[in-house]
Amino acid sequence: MTATTHRAAAPTNVGLSFPRLVRSEWIKVRSIRSTWWCYAVLVVVTIGMAVLLGGYAGDGSDMPQDAMNGQLVSVNTAAVSLAALVVGVLGVLIITGEYGTGQIRSTFTADPGRTGAVLAKAAVLAATTFVVSVVATWIGVAASAALQAASGIHADLTDPAVFLPLLGASVYTTLLALLAFGIGLLVRSSAGGIAITLGILLVLPIILSIVGSLLEAQWVMDLMQFLPSQAGGQLYTYAYDGASSAQDGLVLDGWGGFAVLLAEVVVVGALALTVARTRDV
Amino acid sequence: MIEVEHLTKQYGPKTAVDDVSFVVRPGSVTGFLGPNGAGKSTTMRMIMGLDRPTSGRATVNGRPYTSFRDPLRQVGALLEAKAVHSGRSAWNHLLSLAATHGIPKARVHEVIEMTGLESVARKRVGGFSLGMGQRLGIAAALLGDPKTLILDEPVNGLDPDGVVWVRQLARRMAADGRTVFLSSHLMSEMAQTADRVVVLGRGRVLADAPISEFVAAGGQQGGSRVVVRAPTPDLLFRAVGSAASAITPREDGSFLVVGPDAPTIGRIAAQTGAELHELTPTGASLEEAYMSLTRDDVEYRSEGVR
Repeated sequence: MTATTHRAAAPTNVGLSFPRLVRSEWIKVRSIRSTWWCYAVLVVVTIGMAVLLGGYAGDGSDMPQDAMNGQLVSVNTAAVSLAALVVGVLGVLIITGEYGTGQIRSTFTADPGRTGAVLAKAAVLAATTFVVSVVATWIGVAASAALQAASGIHADLTDPAVFLPLLGASVYTTLLALLAFGIGLLVRSSAGGIAITLGILLVLPIILSIVGSLLEAQWVMDLMQFLPSQAGGQLYTYAYDGASSAQDGLVLDGWGGFAVLLAEVVVVGALALTVARTRDV
Repeated sequence: MIEVEHLTKQYGPKTAVDDVSFVVRPGSVTGFLGPNGAGKSTTMRMIMGLDRPTSGRATVNGRPYTSFRDPLRQVGALLEAKAVHSGRSAWNHLLSLAATHGIPKARVHEVIEMTGLESVARKRVGGFSLGMGQRLGIAAALLGDPKTLILDEPVNGLDPDGVVWVRQLARRMAADGRTVFLSSHLMSEMAQTADRVVVLGRGRVLADAPISEFVAAGGQQGGSRVVVRAPTPDLLFRAVGSAASAITPREDGSFLVVGPDAPTIGRIAAQTGAELHELTPTGASLEEAYMSLTRDDVEYRSEGVR
């Protein structure tokens, strides 16, 4: 330990700003191992599934264009529900890890207003998740399209019905990471946050569908369409004319599903932020 | 400058901090003393805006801490060792904190060097010893070159070198005209470091005075102070009885008797036939002043409960 307190003159423009908080959160995100692990799993699952399923493409010689398009989308979105679990865990851990280790006190000492730090962290989580998901998805698309082409299947990537769901998969993954982040911020505990997130994704749909079929209640089935996994599922579904009439009751389309999930993220996030701003840490 | 006005914090039925008011002035080192659970850390957390007071307010440099646009330049705080994600390296932790304010990398290098963390800066904080965690916390507190320094138990877990270094740091910051507020349970450490002390017991301010005044006042409390060594302490102290307000065993086997003076104790010993090996009138140390002050508080409080 040396004896001087300060040598370099401190610059005059030192102070908080949102871009600086984003920079800080970016340093934090990339300097934790669990981030890298989660994103590595996300990439491997996304590309791996695309290659695996793309390789099993059938014979495309007498396949209509709709079926070829649908096959490319389904091959490249097969891993989304798995990826959702991974980013769900990441979204929770990225904030509960701060509460669990005491880091949150350093974070909120640097930004005692708290809102900026929380929003910056959410922004970094969203941007990173979206970029990683998009890159992984489109590598998978390129690989699976090449494999399918060998079987004579040529999907039309310029068709919005094809590229919108592929983009939607990344949007869904990102929104789910943010939803999990909000849940984590609300409950502050890693175990609790992960349990609630996975419960919403995996358990709630099963319970609602059992209850719905036991009671033969259409409103329960309609309610189920608003679950994050169901509403979000519409974001990456290949929809062609007449496809949705197969199902009874309420059906959300891609944009409807996006709106519902986005609203859920905003509500949970706003609630969590309000509570986090005033809570003792 | 730290101003605390009628600060109160309740956790359910328990009052952790009870109508606490004091001022910590720039240019001097103010010690914050009190037994564990006295409310020192809670008070410091409220000053830093981490805990919300039930009532009352605290300001730093004239404003609530949460209102600053450059909080790390206003106050540097060490509130607990390892307020750090255990998976992150010391370097990345400090770098992320510096980034929030646009503090240059050079300053991060500087505080790492100042706190002697060069060799472990790239290691994960999870593996740090208490002393290393403490140095990292101090490094973080110094990042913004703050006007006010708040350190909660800064010498906890430090080796003797580190203890001396913290003392010098506190003195130097105060000499620089900054406000230095540090808590410690090491009274001897305070005597060498602090100009003033604020003593907290069970959430209330028991004393707020220059350190010399505090020691003098503590010495008078409860009457004379005599160190007594006796082979049959039970026999002697039964005879001394209620004449003494306190009889405390000391580490070397002797006892500190507060109340009766040395001639009185000698007379009692002669009357009862208890053998005496030592009878030394003594002044109060800071530690004893502190002990007598907080003991009185404990007694008062338990009577209040009854």
